[in-house]
Amino acid sequence: MTTSDDATKNGSEESADQAEAIEAVENVEGTAAETTPETEEKKETAKCTGGGLIIFTFIAGLVISLIVGWIIFPKLLYSKKDQPINFNHKLHLEEVDNSCESCHFFREDGTYAGVPTLAQCIDCHEEVEGDSPDEERFVNEYVAKNKEVPWLIYSRQPDCVFFSHAAHVKGAGMDCQTCHGEIGESESLKPYEENRVTGYSRDIWGKNISGITTHTWESMKMDDCAKCHAEAKVEASSVQTKKDACFVCHK
Amino acid sequence: MKIDRRCFLSLGIGAAAGTALSPLPWKLMDDSSIWSQMWPWTPVPEDGEYTYVDSVCSLCPGGCGISVRKVNDRAVKIEGTKDHPVNDGGICGLGVSGLQLLYGPTRVKSPMKRIGERGEGRWEKVSWEIAISAITRELKELRAAGKANTVGAITGSGRGTVPQMLKRFLTAYGSSNFFTTPTIQDVYAEAFKLMHGKDAVPGFDFEKSTFVLSFGSGLIDGWGSPVRMIRANSTWKDNGTTVVQVEPRLSNTAAKSDKWITIKPGTEGDLALGIAHVIIRESLNSKKFVDNHANGYLGAIDASGVFTQGFKELIMSSYGPDAVEMRTGVAGSDIVALAKEFATARRAVAVCGRGQGDNPADIKEVMAVHALNALVDSINQPGGVYTVKAPDYIKWADAEMDSVAGEGFAQERFSGITDGLNALFISGANPYYTMTDTTAVKKVLDQIPMIVSFSSFMDESAAQSDYILPDHTYLEGYRDVVAVNGLMRPVVSLAQPVVKPQFKSQSTGDVIIALANSLEGTVAKSFPWLNYQQCLKETLDSMGPEIQKNGFWVDKKAAAETGDKNFGTASGKFEFTAITDNTTPAESGGIPKLSSIELAGDKASYPLLLIPSDSLRLANDTIGNPPFMVKIVEDMILKGKSSFVEINPDTARKYDLKECSEAVITTPVGKATVMVHISESIMKDVVAMATGLGHTAHDKYLAGKGINVKSLIATVQDPLTGYDVAWGARAKLTKA
Amino acid sequence: MKEEGKHGKANKFGMVIDLDKCTGCGSCMVACMSENNVSFKEDESDKRLSITWMKVYRITNGKKFPDAEECFLPRPCMHCEGEHSGHSPCVSVCPATATDYSTQTGIVSQIYTRCFGCRYCMAACPYHARHFNWWDPVWPEGMEKFLSPNVSPRMRGVVEKCSFCFHRYQLAKDKAYMDGRREIREEEYQTACTQACPAGAITFGDLNNKNHKVYKLVKPDNKHHGKPRNPHAFRLLERLKTNPKVYYLSSRDWVRAAGDNYTVEEKRKGITSGSGSGH
Repeated sequence: MTTSDDATKNGSEESADQAEAIEAVENVEGTAAETTPETEEKKETAKCTGGGLIIFTFIAGLVISLIVGWIIFPKLLYSKKDQPINFNHKLHLEEVDNSCESCHFFREDGTYAGVPTLAQCIDCHEEVEGDSPDEERFVNEYVAKNKEVPWLIYSRQPDCVFFSHAAHVKGAGMDCQTCHGEIGESESLKPYEENRVTGYSRDIWGKNISGITTHTWESMKMDDCAKCHAEAKVEASSVQTKKDACFVCHK
Repeated sequence: MKIDRRCFLSLGIGAAAGTALSPLPWKLMDDSSIWSQMWPWTPVPEDGEYTYVDSVCSLCPGGCGISVRKVNDRAVKIEGTKDHPVNDGGICGLGVSGLQLLYGPTRVKSPMKRIGERGEGRWEKVSWEIAISAITRELKELRAAGKANTVGAITGSGRGTVPQMLKRFLTAYGSSNFFTTPTIQDVYAEAFKLMHGKDAVPGFDFEKSTFVLSFGSGLIDGWGSPVRMIRANSTWKDNGTTVVQVEPRLSNTAAKSDKWITIKPGTEGDLALGIAHVIIRESLNSKKFVDNHANGYLGAIDASGVFTQGFKELIMSSYGPDAVEMRTGVAGSDIVALAKEFATARRAVAVCGRGQGDNPADIKEVMAVHALNALVDSINQPGGVYTVKAPDYIKWADAEMDSVAGEGFAQERFSGITDGLNALFISGANPYYTMTDTTAVKKVLDQIPMIVSFSSFMDESAAQSDYILPDHTYLEGYRDVVAVNGLMRPVVSLAQPVVKPQFKSQSTGDVIIALANSLEGTVAKSFPWLNYQQCLKETLDSMGPEIQKNGFWVDKKAAAETGDKNFGTASGKFEFTAITDNTTPAESGGIPKLSSIELAGDKASYPLLLIPSDSLRLANDTIGNPPFMVKIVEDMILKGKSSFVEINPDTARKYDLKECSEAVITTPVGKATVMVHISESIMKDVVAMATGLGHTAHDKYLAGKGINVKSLIATVQDPLTGYDVAWGARAKLTKA
Repeated sequence: MKEEGKHGKANKFGMVIDLDKCTGCGSCMVACMSENNVSFKEDESDKRLSITWMKVYRITNGKKFPDAEECFLPRPCMHCEGEHSGHSPCVSVCPATATDYSTQTGIVSQIYTRCFGCRYCMAACPYHARHFNWWDPVWPEGMEKFLSPNVSPRMRGVVEKCSFCFHRYQLAKDKAYMDGRREIREEEYQTACTQACPAGAITFGDLNNKNHKVYKLVKPDNKHHGKPRNPHAFRLLERLKTNPKVYYLSSRDWVRAAGDNYTVEEKRKGITSGSGSGH
């Protein structure tokens, strides 16, 4: 979570003790009042009409902004898009021999193919195999027209990031779940949520807007990479950071 | 309930507190930093599967193998093919830049028909059918009017199936006016005809030479097959081969040579004979060769009792070091030393052809230089020069000709692409830019009623044409590429499509077939192939499976065998007479003139000599510099839009010119404002100007920058070959 | 320097350029631009504003005609190690951690998205190896098709420089992982300029590995900041103690002498990096 110390401190003080808060406001007003008599008058009125309203407006402000920040903001920040085809990972995993790597495979040169292209899908789906309407649509709209499916990739990283699947899977022997979770168990694809500011998937920051995660696959930020690298004691070769060098993950 | 200022402030403070406690500011901060680092307008190249497609580069006649790296269907990088016989992994800058031509803004995207004035740049996109039927209509009319012979074509080297199809098309149509763009290789071929009696091109066994004497050849500046020559240069460095460069200017070749001999431009042939003089005087020549295998070395008395002097007598009487020093400016002592070194070297070779050798040279000069090879018996010897038979794999039956064709073809051939033509096809050539005396060329060509360009790019000639029928680039279609250029073993390569055609271009071979078919009759019958690919396949089949399998075929048997002394001349010997014939008698006290070739203009009005300088950083032939190549042009060659001239400090003082000041250079045929670069790397009274600048077409990265040095040079015809052999121009420089 | 890490012995990638063989053709410059998505503008004749990770300089011996000699000197980033590991002129001044030195590879990295364009590193670099993006790069329509996905295109306001084609190292590593190897072979990681050079003038490899060609060519004295033991080898501005990883070979004395700033007195005495004391 990226909240600064100051913010936490201010917040707890003010909400913890209302009286103190009012006093603080009064003090501020007081300094100003010395120069202008009109404010003196208003101060009186405010006092009369009650500190209650001030507390109320404070709480109102607090609550509204909390609602905006925690509930409305995330809804505004992300736009939702449905995947072009609803894909059933679970069903496919049952059919294939080589688990995830059956479709998400390494090429001979060590590069990672990522999301399968039509060429791989056609191996099985030249024609409609099952009775799923999604499959039928896939065959008719993409296979028949020889058009690539414009999949929306949940884990797409910015262009400045270099990520080697070979190093992690072949080199470090990590499994897919560590970063990608249990997507293989899913029977449908969740909507793709795109950050309106950055254009990247919500899954990079994580579903939880606070940034707090409980599992390694819930977010894919640089900090997540760094944390894991530190735990795995990856060579601290950077002169600048005393961690692993920038070029390890950046291009 | 009244909301006063305090409540408002309180609300604000509450809101601030709440906001701080919510993820909003922190998340937005993170997001906006990502946004600002990854501007949406910065391109993100798509990743994918990496593959390599092997093909051949045809941006110059070098014949280098290329391996094009692809990401999915995009070509992203051109590299040299490892273990290729020509370039073994190396590649020049132009070769690397090929993708900028493929994907660049200079591409002609569909057939075009001119709608504005010629050269105005107003075009109408037309379909292939319309373009071909319109051109056919014109061709039919000319044929019907008995003017078949007024249809001509100009190509590059003329080698390969496409130029030969064009030639065949003209023959079947009824015209002999098929022209190629000659280079130094063609002059060598002419010289070989006279001296060896062989129809051959030169093959230099440079890699084995221990002494290389170059008369102005830019051996590492793009002469011959450029990458092969640079590799040979590295071999020389490894083996300790001595390279002597004779040149008025410190070119890259001169800079990398072991000795740079400065010479008055245009007197290279005289120096060669001066060296021959010393070799003969010191008896350092191969006695065996001149005694057994040479004709005309010694003079003879013919039947009527008249003595004709031989090569030896001519050389010994006139080409003493002192006389040659007077003519060439090379110190007599240097001539002697050089001759001794050359003649005593284990495997010496002499070579000529100024700069990249794109321009033909005086054949007498070529023969004089080649005589040195004969004197030291370096002909058909390791490290020397071999006669090489150019690949001859196109074995089509003769074109069918009806009576119109017969009559037209029998008419006298034009001397070149002249205004007598009624139609001109341009393929693999850019005469509007590459021919000397550009202004005059333009004037002549503009008279031709119909010009059809097959160029893939909007070059100068395409811009001046009436129709453009864009060819696929070498990365989009099949074609055969023939590399001979000084190679011992010529290479025929098969270019294959690296990417799908990006625009509505068509292979010129297919277009010629389409034109022939729509002309019907015997013209159509002369092209029995379904399409170009079939024609190409059938043609290449005669070479065996190697070319289709490897993508190239090396003609290992093209060069004469080592030690071969079979000359095809009437005497059966090497003809020194070819040099001694037609020399102009010596002026008083001087040395004879080998040939009558003189640059235009008088020495008094034009006291300086302008010489073009070639560089591998500036493509100066049919293909112009792509943006990457423009970027690496040095800033003393081009600054902003100005060309530089390079002059010696003495010359600068004489004409009161300062470094980077403006000057006007005037020659008998042109005038241009240039910037001055003063350098210790050039002779007095010589002005050097880079070739490859002054384009008017292509893209904004190239067009309008600098001066085309060819526009300042007047043509000079060699009466023996008919080639334009202008190597420079008389010029004057004045302060601007 | 840390010798042993989780990934085995540290590499020190370096380059040897044979100036006797370099012909100044500029192929390395273009190969570099094409490999690394280097941008180009309409006018590139102001060389101070021209982005060239690899730049071939023309140097002269300063003599008069006809004794003038010229030599070409290709200049990539020197990937300076400095007096102690990573004390490169640029790395030590970067306030943004945008440029970094890896003790694992000896490569000085530049992360464009991290750079905020203060250009302190450019001022610090004695080799003019760093370039600033004064404008957003623009590729003419269609030309963005040849951009490589292995190197991020830069944006306005950041500094860029030669990376020794680090992405090729990454790709070679991927291949090695695929084959179950940890180490990459010498020929698997070569820079674009090395590969393109028609003269074979550029050699690239691990200066810590005695079997690599670069080591054999210069015989670096790794105990004394990599000073070359081959008398024909020299480094640029050796006396600044930047400890660069690019070595040059030349048989010409004046070329070697041109590699550093020597006083007239020193030149007279014949002190050059190839023959004299570098310290």
